[in-house]
Amino acid sequence: MDKKLLEILVCPVCKGPLTYRRAELELVCFGCRLAYPIRDEIPVMLEEEARTLGPDEKRD
Amino acid sequence: MSTTDFGFEKVPEEDKVRRVAQVFDSVATRYDLMNDLMSFGLHRLWKRFAVDVSGVHEGERVLDLAGGTGDVAALLVGRVGGAGSVVVADINRSMLGVGRERLDGRGLVGNVTYAQANAERLPFAGASFDCVTMAFGLRNVTHKEAALAETLRVLRSGGRLLVLEFSHVTVAALRPLYDLYSLHGLPLMGRLVAGDADSYRYLAESIRMHPDQETLKGMMEAAGFVHCDYLNHTGGIVAVHRGWKP
Repeated sequence: MDKKLLEILVCPVCKGPLTYRRAELELVCFGCRLAYPIRDEIPVMLEEEARTLGPDEKRD
Repeated sequence: MSTTDFGFEKVPEEDKVRRVAQVFDSVATRYDLMNDLMSFGLHRLWKRFAVDVSGVHEGERVLDLAGGTGDVAALLVGRVGGAGSVVVADINRSMLGVGRERLDGRGLVGNVTYAQANAERLPFAGASFDCVTMAFGLRNVTHKEAALAETLRVLRSGGRLLVLEFSHVTVAALRPLYDLYSLHGLPLMGRLVAGDADSYRYLAESIRMHPDQETLKGMMEAAGFVHCDYLNHTGGIVAVHRGWKP
């Protein structure tokens, strides 16, 4: 994931900051409890494509 | 239940995104060929015109929204240089994939990135861009006012939005020929060349449903853009609308 792009990406729903999880290939919004996938190096910043976080998934 | 237009058809609002996605998944791989055939190559001229009018220059950060197959991005990348950057955003993965292949194939990799995004709910922080370009994308957006508000948000103060889109023919003599061509010639061409009359009918009909020059200018002003204007090209078949963030 390009560093400069990561600097400007926010959650499309709440416009809050995202946490990049390199291993899981996800961008996580803890505020909305949504994880946006990165597919083939392209971030998929669509709410309908995001995974809802499980209750045990917390901020690192 | 709210309905909206899908070309000439009325569809429930929540269906429009999916129906548009189906159109663009279906046309993605032949999109450029079809644009060349349908516009007799004029679309390339229109896009160059829009990029020239944008005044995009070295070092700028540009968002190419609904940038799909990357031909506008290719023009922008050359103008922003190494110090600048271009983000190509599109809601459709098939179109974005074609765009990345095109740009990769031309070695345009250093200053361009890609994101799958909805113009109505952009995933970029405020004031991230000097310029937003949107070529032939706005008419496919369900809630245009939302897209305009979002482009305003992501622009820095003093930044500008460029919308290149089909508009209303201003040269009366052109109108009957243009109507015949767009409503009948295009779907026929779509069927013969791509085996897909429906997608090309949608494209032709969505042009009809798109706001005219003054209406779109008014929408941009209502969204908060200032010094809004438009420049017609090819007798008003297309127009480039501009607006600035105060």
